Amino acid sequence: MFIEVKNLSHVYMPGTPFQVNALTEVSLGIERGEFIGVIGETGSGKSTLVQHLNGLLKPTSGEIWIEGRNLWSSKTDLRKLRSRIALLFQYPEHQLFEETVFKDVAFGPRNMGVQGKELEERVRYGLEWVELDYLTYCKRSPFSLSGGEKRRVAMAGILSMYPEAIILDEPTAGMDPVSRKHFLARVKRLHREEKATIIFVTHNMEDIALLAERLFVFAAGKLVLQGRPAEIFQSKETLEAIGLGIPVVTDLMQKIHRKGKMIRTDIFSVEDACREIMRSYREGVG
Amino acid sequence: MRSLTLGHYLPGDSLLHRMDPRVKLVSLLILITALFVIETFLGFVLFGSFVFLVFLSTRLPWQYFFRGLRPVFFIVLITLVLHFLFTKGGQVYIRWGPLTVEEAGIYLGSFMTLRLMLLVTTTVMITLTTSPIAFADGIEYLLRPFRRIGVPGHEIAMMMTIALRFIPTLMEEGEKIRKAQMARGADFETGNIFRRARNMVPLLVPLFVSAFRRADELAVAMEARCYRGGQGRTRLRELQTRPLDYCGLTTVTAILVFIIVTGV
Repeated sequence: MFIEVKNLSHVYMPGTPFQVNALTEVSLGIERGEFIGVIGETGSGKSTLVQHLNGLLKPTSGEIWIEGRNLWSSKTDLRKLRSRIALLFQYPEHQLFEETVFKDVAFGPRNMGVQGKELEERVRYGLEWVELDYLTYCKRSPFSLSGGEKRRVAMAGILSMYPEAIILDEPTAGMDPVSRKHFLARVKRLHREEKATIIFVTHNMEDIALLAERLFVFAAGKLVLQGRPAEIFQSKETLEAIGLGIPVVTDLMQKIHRKGKMIRTDIFSVEDACREIMRSYREGVG
Repeated sequence: MRSLTLGHYLPGDSLLHRMDPRVKLVSLLILITALFVIETFLGFVLFGSFVFLVFLSTRLPWQYFFRGLRPVFFIVLITLVLHFLFTKGGQVYIRWGPLTVEEAGIYLGSFMTLRLMLLVTTTVMITLTTSPIAFADGIEYLLRPFRRIGVPGHEIAMMMTIALRFIPTLMEEGEKIRKAQMARGADFETGNIFRRARNMVPLLVPLFVSAFRRADELAVAMEARCYRGGQGRTRLRELQTRPLDYCGLTTVTAILVFIIVTGV
């Protein structure tokens, strides 16, 4: 098991009138190379959970195990761990601080001790991944860029660490539909081609349905459902009760199925839905 | 960051919580005056028990009463040590090289320390039970008479409100940026003081950028709602004094008079 969470609980500001139980007794496991979706309403504890996975938050109780080693009991080098399990926060464009794009993207690898040619190579890789031309952008100030470009620079700053696992906390918040689609396709390629473990936090079902192999659903600090997207979306009522929903296409397929048509319901994209409906229609006629 | 309890408002529904902020401010001034009039240790004991009883009546966790002293711990300690070592007079208790601890030093040292501690706990008690908004409203009202001589009461109160309003926001933001940079391997904990100061750059630059952005957005939002300062501005919640407030004011005045008359 790559990442294992055992009975994790987290309490913010314990012992004050502002005490919040953010996570209660959460246990889950993530294998290397998996694409995980973490979904839940705002305030359901999903961000708190992912900040435990790279040691940014210390559990109030419970344990985190990374490759069979307890994250907090042994002498884990937290900084090294954080470059292996990288985390991109929500609205990452607010974390840029350097004079040039190059320096900002190089911040992560430089902290790992990378220098010279390799550093340049990593920055190049990061910028290429987010489709910013290296020569055009590397000398520019990050503060002169547009919002979308800034976010891409921030993403490049994570990728330049060559992480084994990448945690993305609502990376598509506030993106326009075209860049969102584009971004998701790139993440998918990162997972397929470079075998990166991806942990994608979101409350957008449409985003996650096509990408994730497994979903963890959170509500009020508890892990309420887990399984493949197709399985999870069968329990539409549960999802709606905790403020989530299922993709519109899947909903449509389920409704047609209920009307008595023999039709597949594990469908999340318009293309697949179209094909399936045409197939069923043809069979119905013939 | 969580040790920042000095002046942190804790909501509640006690008598002290419900008092008019203006009355609380005036009462605080009277109590502070009383504190400086007190001349004996007995006075401090009486004063201290009064403040502590009032604090208990707010039903806040009693530890907060003492927790407020934490930020000023060093000032109190330094006051004590300086008086012990350098105030001369009376019997000599300890002689240690050129340094001596004498009777007057011990007396004045503990006297000043007690006064300082009571000053802080009394103030903290008021700030713990008064919301920042109410506080600013109170100050605005109390500054009204000074408008003639050019004191911009409303503007001061508005600046205070905004500043207080953004403390938690900026702290939250700072915490988020700190974590984001730590996720990129930034190190805020080790190294000597110069190194640490330099390591703060990745935290401070984004924090300032975001503070300016927020200020700009706030200004636009206020202008969009036609804000143009205090003149002719009405309020949603008018401040009201009730019998409770007069009782409170009478009590603290009585305490001041008692201290002056009896000379404790």
